Amino acid sequence: MSRQEVREPKRGARSHRTRTSSRLRAWTRHHRAMCLDSARRLIRYPVGSLLTMLAIAIALVLPAALWLTLDSARLLDAELEESATLTAYLASDVDESQAVRVNEALQTQDGVVATRLITAAEGMAEFQQALGLTDALNRLDGNPLPASVVITPRDTAPEAVRALAGELESITGVEDVRLDLAWLERLRRLSELGQRLALALGALFGLGVLLIVGNTVRLAVESRRQEIEVVTLIGATHAFVRRPFLYSGAWYGLGGGLLAWALLTLGGEWLAIPVAALAESYGAHYDLPRLDALGSAVLLFSSTLLGLLGAWIAVGRHLAEIRPH
Amino acid sequence: MIAFEHVGKRYGGRYEALANIDFRIRRGEMVFLTGHSGAGKSSLLRLIMRLERPSRGRVLVAGHDIGRLHVSQVPFYRRQIGVVFQDHQLLFDRSIYANVALPLEIQGVEPREAARRVRAALDKVGLLHREKALPIELSGGEQQRVGIARAVVNKPALLLADEPTGNLDPQLSADIMQLFEDFNRIGTTVMVASHDLALIARLHHRVLRLREGRLVADEEAA
Repeated sequence: MSRQEVREPKRGARSHRTRTSSRLRAWTRHHRAMCLDSARRLIRYPVGSLLTMLAIAIALVLPAALWLTLDSARLLDAELEESATLTAYLASDVDESQAVRVNEALQTQDGVVATRLITAAEGMAEFQQALGLTDALNRLDGNPLPASVVITPRDTAPEAVRALAGELESITGVEDVRLDLAWLERLRRLSELGQRLALALGALFGLGVLLIVGNTVRLAVESRRQEIEVVTLIGATHAFVRRPFLYSGAWYGLGGGLLAWALLTLGGEWLAIPVAALAESYGAHYDLPRLDALGSAVLLFSSTLLGLLGAWIAVGRHLAEIRPH
Repeated sequence: MIAFEHVGKRYGGRYEALANIDFRIRRGEMVFLTGHSGAGKSSLLRLIMRLERPSRGRVLVAGHDIGRLHVSQVPFYRRQIGVVFQDHQLLFDRSIYANVALPLEIQGVEPREAARRVRAALDKVGLLHREKALPIELSGGEQQRVGIARAVVNKPALLLADEPTGNLDPQLSADIMQLFEDFNRIGTTVMVASHDLALIARLHHRVLRLREGRLVADEEAA
């Protein structure tokens, strides 16, 4: 034992650089130790840890699934918008050669990308095929359908399409231009509503994760109360005391995130077959959205962050209560 | 080393635990603090450990007014004081070695250097052979010696002890006091709160006597 001065707290001037680097080494050493130690504590009580993680996972699955669905709906929406077309119905007295000329006239219009002429006969054939009403239609005297031209506009924004429709109607031979954009707008509003709903749910369930982790960490702090008192008495900083609990929170979050990922993937597999069959019956092809690498990373990152944050809040609150006596 | 300047401590505005305490302890001194339970011994030690701030007056340790230390500096201040508690305050879920190493772990001492110092401290209290044991496997006297090893592992300039022999028989108590004297002999300032008057009388050190929160006697070493 050597005789030693009580130093000015915190720093001394001598060999500042070596001290800083050794302090950094000590800091990383403690981080590593606490990271492993908190993982070991979790493994020591596997059932309890798993239940906490499962609770976190369930809280994460719902908003994540909703988000995935909306994401795929957004893709669908974009596809639909691209396929937005106008249909120009020609006057019923326009014969086939005149129809070809009208088609050409339409094609040269500004703002028109492409046109496709559907003659009256073709229209009838399509109609029959789609409805399967061959017999009933065959009984009709003549073809009641007019020829029509399907137009792909350059600008698919609703206002632009509406303006284009007005222009096209003035062309001779065109009787009526139809655009059915109302459903497209409705769909967009619906997906907007869905996005807000997902955001609100995400916030709510995120708060749920904070509470789950916070409560678990609160109990852990309580069970290690004596240890916290002792280390505080012998000079541990708040950061030192907080560290193991923050790591536990992060582990809980990560575990919950992994479980949520597994639930989403398994649930997706489970639903994929009936969903594909359902889509098939509508003559469509629809794949259930899946978590890609980026989505998985976002899920795991945010769950870990939520765990860390929950632990931070709980530890901060309870450390203030624990004062050595 | 320690100076109390007209220190008063009130709890909850009414109960006066300490009143107008005024004394100085020189570097390298060994001092006993005595008095009945409730006389203010623990309050006085709590002030030195900066677990409390004085309501009145100043407490100076090594020239620093510790009542004015910022909260963030308090941990660094405490690392320079060794404290031995009556109830040992050992952690029962880890080995003797880990318990003694705790202050070094907190300070981030290199593991190899820490091992050297922990063994030196355990050797000093005669428990080197029990380093792998758990505290529960040790007797009361041995547990207290682990507490002492933990208090001195950091080579503090100031060693405080609150009733370190509280639950021990006279022979063990004498052994523990002998340890404190050993540390004092190599220059550590030692302050021991105890109500074991018979033992204190035999050791011939300075005695501060408290009664109802007042310093009623300051008897220099005989």
